[in-house]
Amino acid sequence: MGKLDQYLDQVCRGIGGPMEMRQHVRQELREHLLDAAAQHKAAGLTDEAALDKVLEEFGKPDEVRTELEATHGQRMNWFIEKAMQWKEKTMKSKWLWLSWAHGMVGAILGLEVLFITFNVILIIPRFQKLMIDGIIDPDIMEDQGVAWFVNFLHNLSYVAGHWTTQITLAAIVLWGFFEWRVKSEHKTFIRLSALGTIAVGLMLVIILMSAGLVVSFTMGAPALGRITRPWVFEQVTTIDTSMTEVEKSLTAKDWNGMTEQVDRALTAATRLTAGPAASTLTAENDNAKI
Amino acid sequence: MDTELLKGTLALLILSLLSRKSMYGYEIASTVHRDTDGTFTWREGSLYPNLHKMEADGLIVGEWEEKETGRKRRYYRITRDGRAALREKMQSWSELCVAVNRILEKSDGQA
Repeated sequence: MGKLDQYLDQVCRGIGGPMEMRQHVRQELREHLLDAAAQHKAAGLTDEAALDKVLEEFGKPDEVRTELEATHGQRMNWFIEKAMQWKEKTMKSKWLWLSWAHGMVGAILGLEVLFITFNVILIIPRFQKLMIDGIIDPDIMEDQGVAWFVNFLHNLSYVAGHWTTQITLAAIVLWGFFEWRVKSEHKTFIRLSALGTIAVGLMLVIILMSAGLVVSFTMGAPALGRITRPWVFEQVTTIDTSMTEVEKSLTAKDWNGMTEQVDRALTAATRLTAGPAASTLTAENDNAKI
Repeated sequence: MDTELLKGTLALLILSLLSRKSMYGYEIASTVHRDTDGTFTWREGSLYPNLHKMEADGLIVGEWEEKETGRKRRYYRITRDGRAALREKMQSWSELCVAVNRILEKSDGQA
C-alpha cells in the first residue's frame, strides 16, 4: 500500500455515514492530493518529496479525521454498524413482514375452515351412517376407551349444524369491536396474535376430528366381520346341503337333480370368493382361499 | 496569518469564491493561496469538512465531473441560500472590520 492510500485510510476510516458517501469523500481527498502533488512536482520536487509536502500541507491524519468526523459523524464498530443497518432495513420493511404474516395466518385459517367444513358436510355424516348401520360398532370403541372421539365428532357435527351462523356473526362482531375500540400501538401484533391463536385452536379441532375419524373407523372396523359372518355361514351351509343332495342324486341316478345341486354349490362358493367374506372364517392374519 | 482568524472566515471565503464560478476543492485552495499571495496558510484538510458542512446546510451543491484525463473532480456551486448567506456574512464582516478598526485606531500607539 502506498503512502497516499495509507494516509487516506487513516483519515477516512472513522468517518460515519453510508459507504458510498465515505468512498466519495476518500476520492475527493485523493484527487486533491494528486493535484497538489502534481503542482509540487512541476515546481521541481521529486515524487516522494512532493507527496510528503502535500501530506504535510493537508494536515495530520488525526486532525483531518477529527474534523471530518465532526461533519459526517463517527463510524461505529463494524458489527454495530451492520446491526443498525439491518435494523433500519427491517424497520423500513416492517409493513411487508406484517402483511406477509397476516396473509399467511389468513391462508392457514382459510384452509383449516375449508377442511373442517368438508369433513362436517361430507365425511362425518357418512361416518355416523356407518355407525347407525352397525358397520362400526360403538361397543368396541367403548371397550378400547376411545368412545370420546365419537362424542367429539357428534358434538362437532352438532355445533357446525346449529351454531355456524351464530359463531360467524360473533367472530365478525368481535373483530369489528376490536378494530373500532383498540387503539394500542401494538394493535397489529395483538391482531396477529389473536389470529394465530385461533389458527392453533382450529388446528386442534382438525387433529381431534381426523384422529376421531381414523381411530374410530380402525377400532370399529372388526364389526364388519361380524356382520358378514352369518351370510358366510349361510353360503357354507348351502354348499354342504347341495353336496349332500348331490350324493343322494348320485345314488338315485338323478342326473338332472345332481347338476342342479352342483350349480347351487358352485354359486355359493363363487359368492364366498368375493370380498373379505372367507377371511371372517379364519383366524387373524391367516390367508383364506376358496 | 493566524489560522484561528482564518477559520471564522473560511465559509465567507468559500462562498465568495463560488459566487464567481463553480470550483473543485483543490481549485478553491489554490485560488485562495494565489489571490492572497500566500498570506493565508492553512491546513488544506480543513477545507473539505467545511465544504461538506456547507453542502449539508444547502449553501452549496457538489457534483462529480469526469475529465478527459479520466480524473474525477467534485465541483461545487453556490445555491440561492448560499448567496443569501454570503450577503449576510459580507455584511457581518464589514461591520466587524469597522468595529475592530475603530478600536485599533483608538488604541494606536498604545501597544
